[in-house]
Amino acid sequence: MKTINYVLTGLGGQGILFMTKVLATAALDKGYNILGAETHGMAQRGGSVVSHLRIGDARSSLIRAGAADFLLSMDESEAYRYLPYLKKGGKLFANAPSNQFPDERTAAYLEGQNIKTWAMEAAKTAMAMGSSKSTNLAMVAFYAAFDVGPLSAADLRMTVDKMSPGPFNRTNLKIFDACYETGKQMAMGN
Amino acid sequence: MKEEFLLGNGAIALGILEAGCQIMTSYPGTPSSEILPEVVRFSKAANLNTSIEWSVNEKVAFDNAFAAAISGKRAACCMKMVGLNVAADSFMSAAYIGNIGGLVIISCDDPGPHSSQTEQDSRLMARLGKVPVLDPGSPEEAREMIKVAFDLSEEFQVPVMVRPAIRVCHARQNITYGALESNLTKADFKREPSRWASTPKFRLIQHKALNEKHERISERFNTLTPFNMHTLEKGTSYPFGVVTGGVPSCVVQDMFEEYDRKDIPVLKLGAPYPFPERLADEFMDACDKVLVIEETDTLIEYMLRDKHKTLGRLTHHVPMEGELVPEKIEGVLNKALSDCGLPPLSDHDCGTEAFTLVGGLDLPIRKPTLCPGCPHRASFYSIRKALPKAIYPSDIGCYTLGSNLGVVDTVLDMGAGITMASGFWNAYIQDDVKKPIVATIGDSTFFHSGTTGLINAVYNDSRFILVILDNHVTAMTGMQPSITQGDRVDGRKGNAISLETIVKGCGINYLKVVDPYDTKTMIQTVKDAADHVNDPDGGIAVIISRHPCVIAFKDQAIPEQIKVRVSDECNDCGFCHTRFECPALIQDKENGKTEINELLCAECGVCIQICPQHAIEKA
Ligand code: SF4
Ligand code: SF4
Repeated sequence: MKTINYVLTGLGGQGILFMTKVLATAALDKGYNILGAETHGMAQRGGSVVSHLRIGDARSSLIRAGAADFLLSMDESEAYRYLPYLKKGGKLFANAPSNQFPDERTAAYLEGQNIKTWAMEAAKTAMAMGSSKSTNLAMVAFYAAFDVGPLSAADLRMTVDKMSPGPFNRTNLKIFDACYETGKQMAMGN
Repeated sequence: MKEEFLLGNGAIALGILEAGCQIMTSYPGTPSSEILPEVVRFSKAANLNTSIEWSVNEKVAFDNAFAAAISGKRAACCMKMVGLNVAADSFMSAAYIGNIGGLVIISCDDPGPHSSQTEQDSRLMARLGKVPVLDPGSPEEAREMIKVAFDLSEEFQVPVMVRPAIRVCHARQNITYGALESNLTKADFKREPSRWASTPKFRLIQHKALNEKHERISERFNTLTPFNMHTLEKGTSYPFGVVTGGVPSCVVQDMFEEYDRKDIPVLKLGAPYPFPERLADEFMDACDKVLVIEETDTLIEYMLRDKHKTLGRLTHHVPMEGELVPEKIEGVLNKALSDCGLPPLSDHDCGTEAFTLVGGLDLPIRKPTLCPGCPHRASFYSIRKALPKAIYPSDIGCYTLGSNLGVVDTVLDMGAGITMASGFWNAYIQDDVKKPIVATIGDSTFFHSGTTGLINAVYNDSRFILVILDNHVTAMTGMQPSITQGDRVDGRKGNAISLETIVKGCGINYLKVVDPYDTKTMIQTVKDAADHVNDPDGGIAVIISRHPCVIAFKDQAIPEQIKVRVSDECNDCGFCHTRFECPALIQDKENGKTEINELLCAECGVCIQICPQHAIEKA
């Protein structure tokens, strides 16, 4: 299989590591090899955080600028910051108001690169449904709805189910289903 | 068999235990810090009898491991690359003397640098200390290399270094592993003073023996596949080849596969020193030009010794500084290929257009800052308030971020907060100027390298204020326990060391302890300390500013949560967000009003004390 590259971004404290682990575990359960790269050290609450995840048989953990298949961002500004990592024809999923994203200043570039973008207010949805900490899962579900890449929505939902401990399980799955639905509507509209 | 999505440092820990390492020592430092806790985790899970310690500094860690190794046990010590500088004195002698049980030094490099003072290349330290070195490119390779390193070290009776760079330490990979077993080799130190305590005359003999070992190890490294190997076809000659090792070797191999460039042979040197001469000669003979892509310095490039064939840093094909991220390597390869009249890998601009576009978007600058509620912020505020015209030498830890508050003027290395304070004093007093100086250092750093400088300053009658920021934890590198608490890494109780006793033992007669959350008292304490420093019969004044880290000890650190709000008195002067710099105090983008971000606020209440307009109050 060709290596599939995910760049995941957000702010310190939003649970990037857990988001990476959900995708990684789903991939592992399907028998794929995985490699990831994380930021540690001075990345603190509120700082810019990025995680690279490669599904397939790559040797190097870092994704080259211009080589990511997917960019999932839990923060609007961070989505722009890591835009250069997306390849021609890559896909961007952002936690942002869908009517304001993307910024018009990036439109020409996105079009030239044939990069498709989708946005939903994942943080707001997660918060309204009782867990602002679950923005990471909300974004995974939103991405899952578009059925692109090697991991199906069913795979990802099962992984979220498996990885959400007792008291959070129901809320997390509820959030997953709601954001999946939002994504599905958008995917069909396109 | 178990499978885990392991951090590179976890894979290294696994390799250490799979190799039967019995004694493991370390001092934390990014990117090495998770190795030791992972050794603890695996060792506990498998019920091994591994002896594991956080040492007070890297030299202590090294010497501990060395003694175990010359007693016949397998020992490892790990550190970040600048930590190896601290252990350098021991490290330089160790290869001469040699060892009995395997001794592996893991020195983690930080090209970038992401979280370090320098970009130094540990392979060059290995070269200087005549210590063989292995350079892994991935977590799995690091795990395998650790085992090979132990075997080599035991076979040749010489310490071996493994040098993982940050992209190995903080990569993650799915790794499968089986059962682990304790190594039951007993300590058996055999007296042999001519070896273990050798005089210079014997050192010369040992040096000769070491050089002979190197010849044999170099011979071994010629065939150390898959760590050392090339992809030449027999009898074929090539216009261009690439010599690489470590993390860049993985990037290069991935890229050649992706672009299907079988026409470019690769010499991979995962074990670059002692240099595998024969393997390198084969490669050089078959290629008209070779490009060297290595991190971070020029070890291989110098070892190749053919100026006319070799492209790399010395020919300005490879950047002299910074991490060799994949897009940079792609650019380097494209340029070198074109220079040699060959088709490039791609016509990518390596992200230049996109990075320029993004650079123009005015995205928020997210510079690192002290956490909301951090006691260091309160300490720095009071120091500056009390003595705004002082020189502020500081040190290495979270509190280095006090530079944002204008209270960190210098950072050189561990312990230099104190040694540079006495240096500043000497420089000014020679001109009859009594310069006010306030040095800051954390508790862990003080134990690591602070006491020697303090004893020196007392002995030579330098005058300054030293504030020891005691937050009970080594916070920046991931909350390792401080020795003031006496907790050991594997959960066993050690003996707590009292900061007060040590400070007094260094010859300090003026010592005050304050809680920085009480800024009024702290400001007065600093002013009083300045009087003592200026008193002809006075001396160095030490203040222990003691308050637990808000992240490590949430409940203890903020026993009484104080909700705050900004009142109408606020004139948006900006002091609290730009000078005091609490991330929970923000300025609304639209109306410019100062607000509290309740999600971030730790409810420490300190901002109530610092607002010049008294506009922050209990909610
Ligand atoms: S709260 Fe106080 S310090 Fe902060 S901007 Fe308002 S007046 Fe200035
Ligand atoms: S109480 Fe004030 S100083 Fe403390 S965290 Fe909240 S805003 Fe920052």
